[in-house]
Amino acid sequence: MRTTSADLHTLTGAYAVNALTDTERAAFETHLLRCESCATEVAELTATATRLGLAVEFAPPPQLRARVLAAAAETRQLSPHTPRLPRARGWGRAGGLLAAACLVAVAFVTVQRTGSDDDRLAQLSSQYGRFSDLLSTPDARLVTATGAGGATGTAVVSPSRDELLFLSRDLPALPGDRVYQLWLIDAHGPRGAGVLASPTAPHVTDGVSGAQKAALTVEPAGGSQDPTSDPVVVIALT
Amino acid sequence: MPKRERSLQSLPPDAGPTAEPTADDLLALVARGDEAAFERLYDVVSGAVFGLIRRVLRDQAQSEEVFQEVMLEVWRTATRFDPGRGSANTWIMTMTHRRAVDRVRSAQAATHREEHVARLDPARPFDEVSEQVSGRLEQRQVRRCLSFLTGLQRESVLLAYYQGYSYPEVASLLGIPLGTVKTRMRDGLIRLRDCMGVTG
Ligand SMILES: [Zn+2]
Repeated sequence: MRTTSADLHTLTGAYAVNALTDTERAAFETHLLRCESCATEVAELTATATRLGLAVEFAPPPQLRARVLAAAAETRQLSPHTPRLPRARGWGRAGGLLAAACLVAVAFVTVQRTGSDDDRLAQLSSQYGRFSDLLSTPDARLVTATGAGGATGTAVVSPSRDELLFLSRDLPALPGDRVYQLWLIDAHGPRGAGVLASPTAPHVTDGVSGAQKAALTVEPAGGSQDPTSDPVVVIALT
Repeated sequence: MPKRERSLQSLPPDAGPTAEPTADDLLALVARGDEAAFERLYDVVSGAVFGLIRRVLRDQAQSEEVFQEVMLEVWRTATRFDPGRGSANTWIMTMTHRRAVDRVRSAQAATHREEHVARLDPARPFDEVSEQVSGRLEQRQVRRCLSFLTGLQRESVLLAYYQGYSYPEVASLLGIPLGTVKTRMRDGLIRLRDCMGVTG
């Protein structure tokens, strides 16, 4: 059943040389959080690719040195925080935070697949051509929810593909050091499902079987291992 | 962590207190806001960073622009570097490659690029690479190890890494199925890893 996941294990090389498309890169990064063997292989192959990079050394024009150093002197560094580690899922302390936060007032609009669903899926399929495979899967289901702040999240879930496409509307813009991160929540708590490339970017993740909810939170750039803020929107998947 | 990335790590065997610090040492200081350490880090890594960007982008003006962005990004995000996940070189070069490729794939470049893919002679880049990689002592190992790859493995890895092509672009250039490209990239890098003794 996990054919998409089996394929994902072979993407370590393409990921290490940065040859994946944006959608696949996001899906693979989600996979890396759960698959330690891929995470280890990616670390090794990335270090290997680095050797290729070091082999084409070329000195930059000398005048750039002063420019870069001056710019650095005027640039504030990011605050340190525990970086996101590609490791097996952890249900940390913040699991409780998100679980509790899920009870915060958000409007759930759960939609069964209906005639109008089909229209909407067809419309999305023309709008998001590169996801048309997923959107035209017969078991694709569409669920939409609006958060307290007015932002709308839509999840298109296909159990047979074990994939979820997340689309949003009216998400507030974020400062440069913050990102939107998607979470899948099951009986054990939330697990990271990738960071949105931008507030308007569609986002695909896999490994959705068993997930009861999808939630979106604001996190420091790079994403967090566990949610650190209240969700902007929560979508009930079941 | 193997210290084989000699272009960036000039630690002599009898390293005393006056020895040149490694990129890892310097990045740790940069993370604490040490501007003098950043200046030294610049001298240690700028050639590798600029060389890779220039190799991917070709265009001098764009390369200079992206180079400055990357170096500033190294300064800005040094606080997030986690030595447990890999070397400073790998962290910096991964960021460099990502930025260069992002630029290559950006919208304004897209049209031009499609034309480029259509007329690129797939044999050409490898000659250039071989040429470029042949000079220095530390580059010989890379060249030697590349020679152990099959043609498709080498072409898949190098087209992606040095030209910034996505694997669907590589597939169309080489006229092979998508799935084949993915496995050739992986197999090729694994062979390189084993040949160079990289442990991550
Ligand atoms: Zn895996």
